Amino acid sequence: MKNKLGNVLDWLKGKSVDYADCRYVRTEKESIQVTDGVVDTLSKDVNVGVGVRVLHDGAWGFAGIASTSEADIKKAANKALQTARASAMAKKEAINLAEQEAFKDHYKTLCEKDPFNVPINDKVGLLLEISERLKTDDKIKMAQASMDFYKTNKLFFSTEGAEIEQDIIESGAGYETIATDGNEVQKRSFPNSHRGDFATRGYEFIEEMNLLDNVDKTREEAIQLLSADDCPDTETDIIITGSQMALQVHESCGHPSELDRVLGTEISLAGGSFMQIDGLNNLKYGSDIVNIYADATVPGGLGSFGYDDEGVKAQRSPIVKEGVHVGYLTSRETAPVIGQRSNGTMRADGWNRIPLIRMTNINLEPGEWELDDLIADTKDGIFFDMNKVWSIDDRRLNFQFGVECAWEIKNGKLGRIFKNPLYTGMTPQFWNSCDAICNRNHWHVWGVPNCGKGEPMQTARVAHGTSPARFRKVKVGASK
Amino acid sequence: MIGKDKLFSTFEKVVKSSKADETEITYIGSTTGLTRYANSTIHQNVNETDARVFIRTAIGKKIGVASTNSLAVNDLRATLKNSLEIAKFQRDNKYFDGLPEPAEYKKIDTYFENTANYKPKDRARMVKKVFVRGNRRKYTMAGAFSSGEGEVAVFNTRGVRCYQPLTGSSINIIAMSKDSSGYAVGMSRNIDDIDPVSLADIAVEKARLSRRPKPLKPGDYEVILEPSAIAEAFEWLNYVGFNSRAFMEKRSFLAENIGKKIMSDSMTFYDDGNDTKGIAIPFDFEGVPKKKVYFVEKGVGKGVVWDRLSGKKHGVESTGHALTANQHGEGAYGLNIFIEPGDKTTGEMIASVERGILVTRFHYINGLIDPPKAVLTGMTRDGTFLIENGQIKHGIKNLRFTDSMMRAFSTVKGISKERKLIPSWWDAVGCMVAPTIHLGSFKFTGTTDF
Repeated sequence: MKNKLGNVLDWLKGKSVDYADCRYVRTEKESIQVTDGVVDTLSKDVNVGVGVRVLHDGAWGFAGIASTSEADIKKAANKALQTARASAMAKKEAINLAEQEAFKDHYKTLCEKDPFNVPINDKVGLLLEISERLKTDDKIKMAQASMDFYKTNKLFFSTEGAEIEQDIIESGAGYETIATDGNEVQKRSFPNSHRGDFATRGYEFIEEMNLLDNVDKTREEAIQLLSADDCPDTETDIIITGSQMALQVHESCGHPSELDRVLGTEISLAGGSFMQIDGLNNLKYGSDIVNIYADATVPGGLGSFGYDDEGVKAQRSPIVKEGVHVGYLTSRETAPVIGQRSNGTMRADGWNRIPLIRMTNINLEPGEWELDDLIADTKDGIFFDMNKVWSIDDRRLNFQFGVECAWEIKNGKLGRIFKNPLYTGMTPQFWNSCDAICNRNHWHVWGVPNCGKGEPMQTARVAHGTSPARFRKVKVGASK
Repeated sequence: MIGKDKLFSTFEKVVKSSKADETEITYIGSTTGLTRYANSTIHQNVNETDARVFIRTAIGKKIGVASTNSLAVNDLRATLKNSLEIAKFQRDNKYFDGLPEPAEYKKIDTYFENTANYKPKDRARMVKKVFVRGNRRKYTMAGAFSSGEGEVAVFNTRGVRCYQPLTGSSINIIAMSKDSSGYAVGMSRNIDDIDPVSLADIAVEKARLSRRPKPLKPGDYEVILEPSAIAEAFEWLNYVGFNSRAFMEKRSFLAENIGKKIMSDSMTFYDDGNDTKGIAIPFDFEGVPKKKVYFVEKGVGKGVVWDRLSGKKHGVESTGHALTANQHGEGAYGLNIFIEPGDKTTGEMIASVERGILVTRFHYINGLIDPPKAVLTGMTRDGTFLIENGQIKHGIKNLRFTDSMMRAFSTVKGISKERKLIPSWWDAVGCMVAPTIHLGSFKFTGTTDF
């Protein structure tokens, strides 16, 4: 395959292209899902192909083909070249790429137990046991448990001489249950909603989740929610758990710090950003204790890799430092606009898509608080746990997020449970009201397997290292 | 395009070696191109030739599913082997009643040569015309223009042989000024039905009308929701409400409302995969012919869509709405949603409003707040206007809504006779066909800065 990619790039060099790269990607996926004791999904998928990206006359063209024959890859290269010529018909300015060292390397995910070598019976058996134990109460209408595994081998070759191979393994699992009493319908999940938690690790990650240990608690909380009071409509102090903080960071910091979005190229679908370039190094994004950074080097993070899909080495770079907006997620095309080199965040969700700026592991630096102390320090408030609803405007300012479950905080203690809780606000005001963040003991990198962006739509697997945090005077309510 | 004969002869070769009791192969192949533009320049121009082949095998009631994107016979045989291995490890699925028997499906024309042959340079020329329409009035243009062809085939060892060639095209256009934006969208199986220049003019006019937007307090307003806004709301209602699994789990707002009056008399909406006024496809991904299914008729809850597995579980027949075999756990989904038109023009509806809001489209709707009550939340974008005394007064800053759609669509004051095709999450095999709808009451719960 390496020779084929090299030959095609030589052919493109002969056509005097400004730049070209070829990506071969082979992904194996295994999905298992058990619902109410029935294995309703047990599937394996293999997906292979090559994508060729060509910069010619200062304009881009791309073609992907589900084939590994040199003749087909060359056809795709020619189509990419013709398409770049078509793009040049309607260009304003020629595209210039930031300088980049041409790496030759092989990166591999750290993996103790290849999930594809774990017997299917073991995986199905665990999910069946979870589903059956969740379903031990008549009020439980649905109990579902799932696992997803990905094994990706990819090659990145460029006309600048890059030759990078990467082998990445991703694993995830989780479960959810729905309780109903005929009037109410309520849901609880573990360890997170939206198919659980994910990492660039092997099956050892699934084993460390101790999935069975939380089945009873999850079921009982779902049932408890049926008779819970609605979350009151009020303005109060709130503490948000780590998994919901991951969603908060994702929507209100990760997306708006994507420089392509800031420059307007995502406006037609996902929208723009309030984190404009004139605010770089002076926008007061959050309070002084808020530090957020992108780090594709976190061991096991779902957004970790060796090199991005432009051949830029994985790295750590700040986005918010002591509350001030100081950085973006960038690419070779966008970084020169702010006088920088790419910080390596371009990823495609397969051979058939061009790389876009995507979140890596966008992490909130831990603070100094123990969670118990933080709750004890809160006189009146609400404790929000685990995402259910996400909605934010197209500049990432006005948001409304709902969670599965909340608890009243009264005189420093957790009290009654609330159903249908949501909180709403404007991003900078909200982050400026953050006055406490829990310490590293409570910090966890949450894998998010379903981040959508782009046309055609691409799904990225990203992550957020977060710990619980407190925000003052936030508008909260019930979702009715 | 591979073609029906070659696909089925390849599948015959592959299943000959199958040791399963029953085998099904579902093929979805496409060659598509998409030109994406922003700041009145093309920034992305992509082509893709890909295929998905799903092989479902059954040993008794044990089902295995494996898939590949290769049509090479050796790869298909390896995929078949994977599928069989999985089936061997499976537990019995008591709801599996065997693969479908062959059934007649409607013959419809869904393939247009001109659309299949549309090239990147054709898209670039058209996009350039869009830029010219914006530049003349000092608006920058952004959006995406796609075209392509594809084919869907379903083959099984009981004799099902379904095949449908497809083409499709869609364009979305945003015109932008410093303080406003406007939106227009078009889609069709035949690219000649789309007029990007006229759509560009609509987007520019909306951006012009919404210059210098003024803030408006959230509250309960009369609204006119244009087809894109309606389609975005119904996309979520489809996801949380018209799906068989949501219905069985009582999460669907229809679950406890069959036969009950839940919306205004004028509200009728249904799924119809055979109606070529939409993006039709006459069979589902297990080869069952599509039936027309009413969700709500004259304001009364009627039903949801079913595939064979979820139908068996609930004791009803499939309505021809199965997804691909790897997604059968999610239940059946409608892909071709139609909302029945009314007898008004949009102009007449605006003229009848004393004080209200005109919404072009919504952004980032979410329907997981309280699905049994059909509560949605989302933001307005790209053209939101105050109407006063029957006229559009001025643009307003975007608003957040949070409301029950059962409640809001119980206040219908008018529906347009004209409908538009709006692309959906699954736009190769379906879309939303939506009118403009005038509601007497709609709850806005928040505001933003632009």
